[in-house]
Amino acid sequence: MAEIFVNMGEIKVAAGDDVLITVGLGSCVGVALYDRENKVGGMAHVFLAASKDGRSNEQPGKFADTAIPALLEAVVRAGGRRNLLIAKIAGGANLFPKLSQASLNVGMQNVAAVKEYLAAHKLPLRGEDVGGSIGRKMILYVESGKVMVQSIGSEPKEI
Amino acid sequence: MSKEKLTPMQLDLLRELGNIGAGNATSALSIMLQDRKLEMVVPEVAILSLPETTTLIGGPEALVAGIYILVSGDVDGHVAFMMPIHSAQELVQSILGVESVEFDEMGCSVLEEVGNIVVTSYLNALSEMTNLVLRPSVPGLAIDMAGAIWSSILAGAEIFDDYITVLKTDFASEGKQIEGHILLIPGKIGFDRIFKILLETDR
Repeated sequence: MAEIFVNMGEIKVAAGDDVLITVGLGSCVGVALYDRENKVGGMAHVFLAASKDGRSNEQPGKFADTAIPALLEAVVRAGGRRNLLIAKIAGGANLFPKLSQASLNVGMQNVAAVKEYLAAHKLPLRGEDVGGSIGRKMILYVESGKVMVQSIGSEPKEI
Repeated sequence: MSKEKLTPMQLDLLRELGNIGAGNATSALSIMLQDRKLEMVVPEVAILSLPETTTLIGGPEALVAGIYILVSGDVDGHVAFMMPIHSAQELVQSILGVESVEFDEMGCSVLEEVGNIVVTSYLNALSEMTNLVLRPSVPGLAIDMAGAIWSSILAGAEIFDDYITVLKTDFASEGKQIEGHILLIPGKIGFDRIFKILLETDR
């Protein structure tokens, strides 16, 4: 079993008994996409809603509009079946609610954008833990398809 | 900003800015700590990829206290004052003269105010040096995973580029385990404008 860490703006895939982990989700949104039957999954750590021009740059995983298609492609390439894929998301918090300037509520914009692009690619969203003002850690156990979310000072919960 | 964009001279100027800003901030802090000496590490101008930036403050999962202030005025920018949670506790305990502290409403408001003083002292020095109006927002405080705080600040700054320039100053106190980092990220027009003004005043 390998633990694979997904950093900010990255997309990673794994298979079998591997575990995909992303930590430090604040306004960022973690997206887990997996095919439980074939035990293949991927994870993206989305930083902002939209890339400037919609085209992929060096790191498609940074932006929701480029991350969702890139994640889908990566999971399918790794052996996931398109029609068996389901998605779960976590994050999109606002850690500084006092500074509630419009530009700061990036979290909600990220969540909305991720949902929009998941729907556009017909990827069913089956679980979420989003919003609020707390950071999160997201773990995808590829073999079981279990997705756990944890925050500082609270027990992990399955979504 | 691409990785090679800053010239050695610009890097020097930024370090100098960091020095003066942090000098002011640490003296404000040591007054609050009843003249306990604070040691400042030479400021560092780091040009980093997004994932690399989370390692600046002890890894994405480290529990930290982060005070975040938005800067507007002649230039825009973002300043964060981040401390490992134990340092934040130690700092608030020293200031209040108590043995232990909880980050309840009271503890948080003390910490927020300390952060506010540190950041505004930093900005005042920058402002005096450059003659730029730098207007700080109210402080925001979060106690959470370093990665969550830091990425939220970067996202609020709308960093689209793959590399970002961060001006970072660390300090530590003698004896007590207090350490912290002040991080400055320029807004869209930030650094270019600052360079221009500094080069003019140099001549």
